[in-house]
Amino acid sequence: MKKQVSLTKEFVKGIWEINPTFKQLLGFCPTLAVTVSAMNGIAMALATTFVLIFSSLIISLIRKLIPGQVRIATYIVIIATFVTIVDLVMKAKFPELSKSLGPFIPLIVVNCVILGRAEAFASKNNPLRSFLDALGNGLGILLVLTVLGGIREILGSRMIFGAPILPDSFEPWIIMILPAGAFLTLGLLLGFSNTLTERKKRLERESLLNKYRPAKAVTEVKEGGAA
Amino acid sequence: MPTTTANPAYKLELTSSPHVHSRWSTKQAMWFVVISLIPSLIASVLFYGFYQILIVLTSVAVCVGTEAGVKYIRKREITVKDGSAVITGILLGMVLPPNFSLVFTAIGAVFAIAIGKEIFGGLGYNTFNPALVGRAFLQAAFPVAMTTWTIPAFSDAVSKATPLSSLKFDGIPAAIQPMFFGNIGGSIGETSALAILIGGIFLLVFGIANWRIPLSMIIGILVFGALIWLINPAKYPDPLYHLFSGGFLFGAFFMATDWVTSPLTGKGMWIFGLGISLIVVVIRVFGGLPEGVMYAILLMNAVVPIINRYTKPKVFGETK
Amino acid sequence: MKTVIQMLVVLTAIGLISGGLLFQISSWADPMIAVNKQKATEEAIYIVQPEGKSYEKVSADGFEGYKVFGGNKDLIGYAFVYEGNGFQGKIRIMIGIQPDLSKISFIEILEQSETPGLGTKVTEEPFKNKFKGLNSKANIGWVKEGASPKDNEIIAITGATISSKAVVAIIDSGLKKLRTLKEGGKL
Repeated sequence: MKKQVSLTKEFVKGIWEINPTFKQLLGFCPTLAVTVSAMNGIAMALATTFVLIFSSLIISLIRKLIPGQVRIATYIVIIATFVTIVDLVMKAKFPELSKSLGPFIPLIVVNCVILGRAEAFASKNNPLRSFLDALGNGLGILLVLTVLGGIREILGSRMIFGAPILPDSFEPWIIMILPAGAFLTLGLLLGFSNTLTERKKRLERESLLNKYRPAKAVTEVKEGGAA
Repeated sequence: MPTTTANPAYKLELTSSPHVHSRWSTKQAMWFVVISLIPSLIASVLFYGFYQILIVLTSVAVCVGTEAGVKYIRKREITVKDGSAVITGILLGMVLPPNFSLVFTAIGAVFAIAIGKEIFGGLGYNTFNPALVGRAFLQAAFPVAMTTWTIPAFSDAVSKATPLSSLKFDGIPAAIQPMFFGNIGGSIGETSALAILIGGIFLLVFGIANWRIPLSMIIGILVFGALIWLINPAKYPDPLYHLFSGGFLFGAFFMATDWVTSPLTGKGMWIFGLGISLIVVVIRVFGGLPEGVMYAILLMNAVVPIINRYTKPKVFGETK
Repeated sequence: MKTVIQMLVVLTAIGLISGGLLFQISSWADPMIAVNKQKATEEAIYIVQPEGKSYEKVSADGFEGYKVFGGNKDLIGYAFVYEGNGFQGKIRIMIGIQPDLSKISFIEILEQSETPGLGTKVTEEPFKNKFKGLNSKANIGWVKEGASPKDNEIIAITGATISSKAVVAIIDSGLKKLRTLKEGGKL
């Protein structure tokens, strides 16, 4: 019997360890397309999280009823239902936001993060775990989209959350609100996150080595480990 | 010459490209490139004023500084002495509009070195010409500043437009003669075709740049330009207009000939040059932009690895 | 056989449940969406006809136009939507005009996908203000910066000539259509 991970771990892992954007490299289409401002990023992430949580929950609840052959079709119907709900509610209650996110709300249906979590997690775990997993992954998306949208908004239009923060003498970098700016910023953020991960791995490896080496060899290991 | 001094050209070194295919070392070659750019620089000072020197100097200083900084962060040997950052700096400065903001120049220079070159692993690993990457970034980031062309100092022209943009947006072609000698609106280095030719031929004579690339580009633009022109001479510019306007000659002699980002084989260089001029003509004639030399070179840079693979000389004894 | 039935039952059930759920939600949301849409149109109408107090839809030949009335229920002009191609995509413009079609009151860009920072300048006040009071008896036109415009011409934005030209062309063809409608007595 496989050892169960703790519930906290189930929740936390989505934020960084298996962050949908940084580590699974999923759902890039909305990530690149709508993040011209921090607010757009947050709205997109919240809409995605809503769909992610509810579809994971429902799929996990009925996971034993769904025949294997039609599981993808079933998941998509469930996901599409929640996406349509989000789309209608946003159009009714937040018309401005809905206009600026445009077709990317309906496109959440094909966001691979959601189908990915349904297939990889919710279909194999109980509702509580699926809920925590979806919430964690949603927060991971929220983190990336907010940071990405924030950077692009600051450099591309001198503002953050619509409030000017840079002086008028700063000439906005128009490239940042163009698609090219999205690719550049996301690429640099991915590189940064990989650097952090690499460093963490290296430190772990070193401490592990030190633990099993005779005490007198410790200094030598430190030098070799850095290579 | 006493044989005791080590001649860098004969030292056995295992390095990544640029592999010098000439009798000069990278360091010597760098000085040849700098000298070859002096005529164009003089021309730009004559036509646009002394401020242009400041742009080029800013660009060089920031490029060198960025290179040293990135190498320091990456804990690599600081290799600014090879002069590649200096050349990138000069080239970037020369393709900016006259009287361009020094702050923007610095931003472009940081981008050219950090993103255009170092992020790929440094000199020899970069796919794209770093100076053009810097310019492309500036073009997208500050489109208004990048298309504000100052009137040459001794010109009686009222239009601020470059010959290509006046043709594209207003349908008024400029005369060929001022384009050749330099009395036109345009980037710092591209104003005088004559000055570029002097510098370019100097590079070819000393074997720093391979003659195949500029020659194939010039033949290409004349042929493709003529084909389009013959379809409708009233609407499309003649081939000489294509040749002397915009940054075509500057690109042909100084940008496309970059050792790192151009093909290795002779046949490959012909494909590369003809490809660039084809894209230039397509962008100028059918595109929304007046000028396309920068994008043409960057696009062809991207296919250089494929060109290299398919033009690889046959191994001796191989049957097919 | 058993799995086939299970597949049918599960998919049908899920389809029915989600269909029913969506019906409920959409019957709740649809009126609000309609109100939002109307509000947006209304706002644009009163932007291009600032003195307007009420309006009435004119429908002729699939043309989206409105009669705008002042405080005393008197006709103060028309507002109509017209679209055409810009530099990169469609531009939709709401145009306000005097009752005799002699002068443009104001314009509002409803939708556009021009280059940010360059072409998008056509959505900004300085450019839109150029259309205020523009003589629209005959064709309208544009001139380059530095030239002096006639009373039916606007000065194009430097660096955004194509977008400026497009806006002028869209308004011009809209006016043409409006004139034929007016002559045909359909307004």
